[in-house]
Amino acid sequence: MFRMPLASASLLAIAISLAGCSEDKAPANQVAAPAASSTSAPAVAISPIDEAAGKAVVSHYADLALAVFSDAASTGKALQNAVDVLLATPNADTLKAARDAWIVARAPYMQSEVFRFGNAVVDDWEGQMNAWPLDEGLIDYVAKDYQHALGNPGSSANIIANSEIQIGEDTLDVSTLTPELLASLNELGGSEANVATGYHAIEFLLWGQDLNGTNPGAGERPATDFVVGDGATGGNTERRRAFLKAATDLLVSDLDTMVAQWQAGDADNYRATLEAESAENGLRKMMFGMGSLSLGELAGERMKVALEANSTEDEQDCFSDNTHNSHFYDGKGIRNIYLGEYKKVDGTTLTGPSLSSLIAKVDSAADSTLKADLEATEGKLQALVDSANNGQHFDQLIAADNSAGQQIVRDAIAALIKQTGSIEQAAGKLGISDLNPDTADHSF
Amino acid sequence: MIRSPLGLALLSLTLTACSPADPQQQVSQALTDGVILPIYSAWNEADRQLAVSAQAFCADQQNLAEARQAFATAQSAWAAVQPVLLGPLAEGNRAWQVQFWPDKKNLVARQVEALLNKKSVLSAADLEKSSVVVQGLTAYEYLLFDATLDLSNTEQKARYCPLLVAIGEHQQDLAADVLASWQSDDGMAAQLKTFPNARYAEAPEAVAELLRTQVSAIDGLKKKLGTPMGRQSKGQPQPYQAEAWRSKASLTNLAASLASAERIWLGAEQNGIQALLSADQAELKQRINAAFSDTRQRLAAAPRPLGELLGDEAGRAELNALYDSLNTLHRLHEADLAKTLGIQLGFNAHDGD
Repeated sequence: MFRMPLASASLLAIAISLAGCSEDKAPANQVAAPAASSTSAPAVAISPIDEAAGKAVVSHYADLALAVFSDAASTGKALQNAVDVLLATPNADTLKAARDAWIVARAPYMQSEVFRFGNAVVDDWEGQMNAWPLDEGLIDYVAKDYQHALGNPGSSANIIANSEIQIGEDTLDVSTLTPELLASLNELGGSEANVATGYHAIEFLLWGQDLNGTNPGAGERPATDFVVGDGATGGNTERRRAFLKAATDLLVSDLDTMVAQWQAGDADNYRATLEAESAENGLRKMMFGMGSLSLGELAGERMKVALEANSTEDEQDCFSDNTHNSHFYDGKGIRNIYLGEYKKVDGTTLTGPSLSSLIAKVDSAADSTLKADLEATEGKLQALVDSANNGQHFDQLIAADNSAGQQIVRDAIAALIKQTGSIEQAAGKLGISDLNPDTADHSF
Repeated sequence: MIRSPLGLALLSLTLTACSPADPQQQVSQALTDGVILPIYSAWNEADRQLAVSAQAFCADQQNLAEARQAFATAQSAWAAVQPVLLGPLAEGNRAWQVQFWPDKKNLVARQVEALLNKKSVLSAADLEKSSVVVQGLTAYEYLLFDATLDLSNTEQKARYCPLLVAIGEHQQDLAADVLASWQSDDGMAAQLKTFPNARYAEAPEAVAELLRTQVSAIDGLKKKLGTPMGRQSKGQPQPYQAEAWRSKASLTNLAASLASAERIWLGAEQNGIQALLSADQAELKQRINAAFSDTRQRLAAAPRPLGELLGDEAGRAELNALYDSLNTLHRLHEADLAKTLGIQLGFNAHDGD
């Protein structure tokens, strides 16, 4: 039976264990039986979800989406105004004001990310908003040691410096920089690193490359990159101004589009579709979104890759060094969904029927555990913010020789993994047993 | 190794004594000894040879072709491990120390050069403190195969050899450590054979994890093929996003992984996962056998490396057919087999597409 010499070392162990098998181990066999519905569910097969109560929670989820996307849109418009002021009078102060407006606009946007997973209408739209990491050489000048995706034909196209660009065998006319043109350039030549739109393209234009690696400091683009005529730097300032204007206008119109999808009383928008579905479907989407953002996206793609590879190329807000805030508000968004609350930009708090209250009715321990986990995660993400406020930003924490810094990131990842487990547990209490949050190919 | 006739005798006795034994436990035991431990041992041996080769190459006792051969063997052995990537190597991000893929932005080039610019002498401890990107086969491949490097040049050899030797040692230590964790008392192998234990309450949990790992690995093969084919990027081929594109071993790796997956299905003595299907489930068994055979034959028949196949219509058509074949194999495992065995796959490491 066992031919391989290697196997014989453990033969005795097998023999011993087999000798121990007896009648009382038999139940193990039964688990192998095909799962019939009668074995996996209680005898009386009723869903633990009260349909009306469940629907109220889903409807409030849509209210939360409307509020958070509305805030993203209004802060996006404030960014647009600040960009207009910068372009009218480019100087250090107006550039700083535009950068500050970008950071303010990030807070509600990041809290919207939890809606991305599970709601295809958001996920399909997201690529134009927050695609990352990007090959910034597509957009503008870059430093000599710039690293880009291998084989990306657009990685050094420098749209700002050129009125036409060569992508493989195709020559593209980019002489007039409009929002539509920028949108059409996304994923040019099939490379997902070609990103000409969204928060990160704007971030790159406002900050420039962060050339400090894992040392302190963010991008240092001078305001004179936007000056026309005397004192202009960076070359092609007219086109850089046009690019920034077009990208910002597109961001605002895209945000408005998403707000419309969540307005109540429109029979043709996404909200209407969602509310017409069963409560269970809606609750599943909510919890799938919470779990997937926690696990695959935030813990995996946005933290683990950067941490393990000590790679600032894989940092979310790499030009501005705002990554700590982006991670914090991603986490906040997850917690918002569970608690059914959102603190709006105007300072008021929206509350309503929550997942938490629904689960507490079925199993108060599962509710308490998840609430505690979400709070613990917020604390660990707050540690990233505190560190940045004390002068050590995310790109410094992931340095190869910064073991104390790495631990802060590791703790946040661990908290997110733990919370995902609790989200799955809580989902199970509602009869949603196979949540399968997206791991984005990470194993934890 | 203990080759104990007594043990064999005892085993046959006990097998008779408690027949019918728990089939799940039997499968888990048989796979552990007949398939999984041999795969980990082969990987350990290949990495031992890799370390030897790095030393010899850098002492001018091996030529570049020989060094590349040792690398190819180690890379193939690692590919074979992936369908049994559970336990010690799946924990603590150890797998990333063996290989960093996908490397979307060519981090390997940037980080290898940055490391060597900083340190011309490199200790094992230095490497351990460095990024996973420079610790494993991905960096080793870069050193031996990248078009911008030429290690037959004496000057370049002097610059890159410290890293080559350090990676060889690191891989050897890592593989030895992982194998020891499998073989120790109460180690991973024991936990797949006797229940309950600290990891599994009962045999079906172990079998479920074996199947989960298998399904995840097959899904991973789809991704390794689909990414360079451009299935996630508007159909535009992305040859540099392939695994092992520098050594042109992408398809060889796939074949090595697939062979392990097939061994998990069949078992060394027809006692793999398939043994859990009953006589009236023979049709599913046949379909899975046929799917393995189809994928295996397509891989064996591939006339050119992946990068070349991506370059023309005929090649892309072949790759599409291979992808579809893998997809069939994946679906049969993920849907039909898991359902038939009543196994909840749960956490899915690769998002199905």
